[in-house]
Amino acid sequence: MYVGVDVGGTYTDAALLDGGRVLATAKVPTRKEELIGSILEAMDNVLENVDKSKLKKIIFSTTMITNLIAERKFDDVDLLLIPGPGLSHAYYKLKPNIHILSGAIDFRGRETVRLNEQEILSTISEIAGKGIRNVGVIGKFSPRNTSHEKYVASIISGKYPEWQIEVGSRIASQLNFPRRVETTYLTCATRAPYRYFINSVRQALEYRKISAEVFILKADGGTLPLEGSEELPVETIFSGPAASTLGVLALAPPGETAVVVDIGGTTTDLALILSGEPLLSSKGAKVMEQFTQVRALAVKSIAVGGDSALKKVGSKISISPNRLGPAFCMGGPAPTPTDALRTLGLSTIGEREKAVEAMAILGESLGMSAVEAARIVTGQVVDMLTAEIDNMFLEWEQEPAYRVWEVLQKHKVRPDIIAGVGGGSEGFVEQIATKMGCAPFIPAHAAVANAIGAAVAMPTMQVSLRADTEQGYYIIKEEAYQEKIRGRSFNEQKALDLAKKSLIEWAARYGLEVKPEEIEVTHQEVFNMIRGWNTSGRLIDVTVQTPRGIAYKVGNGGY
Amino acid sequence: MRKTSGKQTGLIFFPAFDWAISPTHPEREERLLYTRDQIFEEGIIDFPQIAEYTPSLATEHDISRTHFCVPGVREQTTEAHLIASGAAILLAEEVLSGKIKNAFALVRPPGHHSMRVVHGNRGFCNINNEAIMVDYLRRRGAKRVAIVDTDAHHGDGTQDIFWHDPDVLFISFHQDGRTLYPGTGFTYELGGPRAFARTINIPLPPGTTDDSLLYVVDNLILPVLGDFNPDFVVNSAGQDNHYTDPLGSLKISAQGYARLTEKIHPDIAVLEGGYAIETALPYVNMAIVMALAGLDYSGVQEPDYWPGRFKESSGKTKEIRRIVEELLKHWEKRDRVAPGSGNIVGKFYQREKRIYYDTDHIEENQLEKLKLCDHCPGYLTIDSAANRGYNHNKVLCISVPITACSKCCSEAAELYHKSKKTTSYNYVYLQDKAADIFYSFESGSKKERSLER
Ligand SMILES: [Zn+2]
Ligand SMILES: [Zn+2]
Repeated sequence: MYVGVDVGGTYTDAALLDGGRVLATAKVPTRKEELIGSILEAMDNVLENVDKSKLKKIIFSTTMITNLIAERKFDDVDLLLIPGPGLSHAYYKLKPNIHILSGAIDFRGRETVRLNEQEILSTISEIAGKGIRNVGVIGKFSPRNTSHEKYVASIISGKYPEWQIEVGSRIASQLNFPRRVETTYLTCATRAPYRYFINSVRQALEYRKISAEVFILKADGGTLPLEGSEELPVETIFSGPAASTLGVLALAPPGETAVVVDIGGTTTDLALILSGEPLLSSKGAKVMEQFTQVRALAVKSIAVGGDSALKKVGSKISISPNRLGPAFCMGGPAPTPTDALRTLGLSTIGEREKAVEAMAILGESLGMSAVEAARIVTGQVVDMLTAEIDNMFLEWEQEPAYRVWEVLQKHKVRPDIIAGVGGGSEGFVEQIATKMGCAPFIPAHAAVANAIGAAVAMPTMQVSLRADTEQGYYIIKEEAYQEKIRGRSFNEQKALDLAKKSLIEWAARYGLEVKPEEIEVTHQEVFNMIRGWNTSGRLIDVTVQTPRGIAYKVGNGGY
Repeated sequence: MRKTSGKQTGLIFFPAFDWAISPTHPEREERLLYTRDQIFEEGIIDFPQIAEYTPSLATEHDISRTHFCVPGVREQTTEAHLIASGAAILLAEEVLSGKIKNAFALVRPPGHHSMRVVHGNRGFCNINNEAIMVDYLRRRGAKRVAIVDTDAHHGDGTQDIFWHDPDVLFISFHQDGRTLYPGTGFTYELGGPRAFARTINIPLPPGTTDDSLLYVVDNLILPVLGDFNPDFVVNSAGQDNHYTDPLGSLKISAQGYARLTEKIHPDIAVLEGGYAIETALPYVNMAIVMALAGLDYSGVQEPDYWPGRFKESSGKTKEIRRIVEELLKHWEKRDRVAPGSGNIVGKFYQREKRIYYDTDHIEENQLEKLKLCDHCPGYLTIDSAANRGYNHNKVLCISVPITACSKCCSEAAELYHKSKKTTSYNYVYLQDKAADIFYSFESGSKKERSLER
């Protein structure tokens, strides 16, 4: 038996599954100051009369880190950057916690400017003077040569062994220096509060004497063992939307192209499933308006939800991005889209009389009836969401392509189903589907689809290897591990073998067993370097990963 | 001028990582690899000043508006060519419609050695991306277009295509043709009789540095552009002026390129040549993107460069200034020079050309005739014979300009129909830019094809 627990900002949901059957679900309010209590309450609800020794896995998803970041409740961090030539350093100095060090590595991993030891030492003393003990060291092109970052880190740890130090090449090994800076910064900043979350989970499980394996959902829809996740807290940002997307994947018919519409109180999250595969964002998760290198599902958050306040602006109804309280029909202060749905009989939430009253007030000033006003409101919400869905498909179609075959295989895709999850989706999903010419889909257990999604999530790990046979080295990016290549026989196959071996070993350290035959190659790129008329070497890039997907489909069978 | 404040710079990066002329050819998969690394690592694509686009394919119709491909477009192009020229068209359209302030088509394969008639590959080029884009722009309503070709090689293909066009100004600076392929681009090449000084060639001596190049820009290119007052400025951005280029011998730095771009202020830059793939391209491409986007580029620098590293002899500096003086004089006479009577036969101006296709080893002989019309730039005919080994192709190409008068249109159509009946040509083509319809006729099978929108 598996349990999925989704710790959201408002509710904590739980679902108990067994072999594709949902045995129990629960929804309880989240009490941020007392997380253990909320987690226990949700779990107790679904584990009543269950033999806990039969629990195999518990998988958590959480918006904790997302919320911490949004509320800027995290630790002070100073960053030491080694940007070298290129973009003017003025762009990096926008924040007071940034220190620029001399030194540069080029795109082939060659040192082009040396580090300056004196400068490093004086920068460290400056940071020490400010009382900050949490630092990140990030170099441009560090994924191609980790030595500068590691050297600076070694000087710091030599002088201040108690400081928390993180190097960029380990946290964010793709090419994109600003995203690497941001990702490293967030990793340093959220480590301590994330530890609080992990400890809450651990304690809750201890109280109930549960010894199942515990995992945490990542933004890309895969999971990490809870213990290992401590090192990479930012991987858990946006795991909430990933959970509901996986939930739809588990509950919807196989192979469909679906839009996941999760309508919450003030925001609506949209995600895409293309022919049964959740779409990953090509740019990495965006946090505080900054792209990161966190692999994440392509989720778009729209500032409209069931509790968005409605008001008259000029001769039009405007949907405000703010929540003044619950819907009028639930005892709130202002008319909301939820009231509009209730008025039209498209939902059963709240008191009908109150809903009609809210719509009548809104409509009166515009010279229309309550029903007319409600129609206009739902129409506006549907138009807004449909436009955003169209945009998401367009963005996917227009993603840059760097190879001829990639350009040629581009095609238009339209959804088969619009899947509604979360509380307030039902009424809207039907209309969105009608407008887009596809079928509406409200899965069983739609209200706790995120907990179900967490329960069916599977561990994912990936390893990327880059080899430069002319320079004579390779790097396992995720581990910032750099090794010399000996002999001339290094080739693509060797690179793949090494990457797979490294993936298996790395997974084993997290207690995961990976079979070589199930490893997928997701990226493979080889360039012959021609100098003069001869091949002087090869550049090989490979990425391997454990299979992505869900543990099993969930039938619509009830309790 | 279009309003540009607050708008983005459009970028299409299309390195064609799966396309090469041949595995060891300079125009191979690896060419833009390090440029990708540099641009990706700098992260500038995430900047709000930049909008990255995905390319689309140019159509046969788009290409036939500019070229006479023998026998047809499909035989002379691969998908990579269609993507490169399609990228230029897409970005030009976005600039023209005001969605973005300017753009860079950072694409390969290049095109500026491709002439109007295409029998094969010349100087790594099959079809001329900028020319195809300019003809597209004119169709979309741009009246006057200026092309500034900043590749180290003379843009002889672009020159050929717009030689007789009074509404397209072609300015090319390049390393002196006596010292570099294709061996043309001298100051006396000034355009056809109805487009005198609409072609301006600035041959630079080997060793020319940033300072002298910028002198040419300030004292010749910018004043000429100012007088011509184009609706659209195109930069054929070759990167082989760089001091590390293996083919060229000029001494331009990434900083020089950035300032050059800033001064020319093109609506769109389209990548041409440049084969110092590690030592120049990553830095020069970054510099150009930043300059177009209005980002501070002062920190972009090659690892082995320092300001003042290159100095040219005073003799070269003087020579460059003399060339600028000479060309300014030609420019002043731009609307007042009549064609030499020696080349006039009846109502036609004619010239003979020999063209060599270095990559494909083709020799072509052309007889080009321009109708001297009092009401329009006149239609053009090219009688072309090409030899490739034992293969011999003789074709007649008739081109009607977009601004053609009705008399020229009907005369050209008559000539096309008459020529179809003779047996002298393997193919006869009619490129009617005024109607935007392009015909090709194969004598052997008597089959005619037409391409229209
Ligand atoms: Zn060139
Ligand atoms: Zn005429």
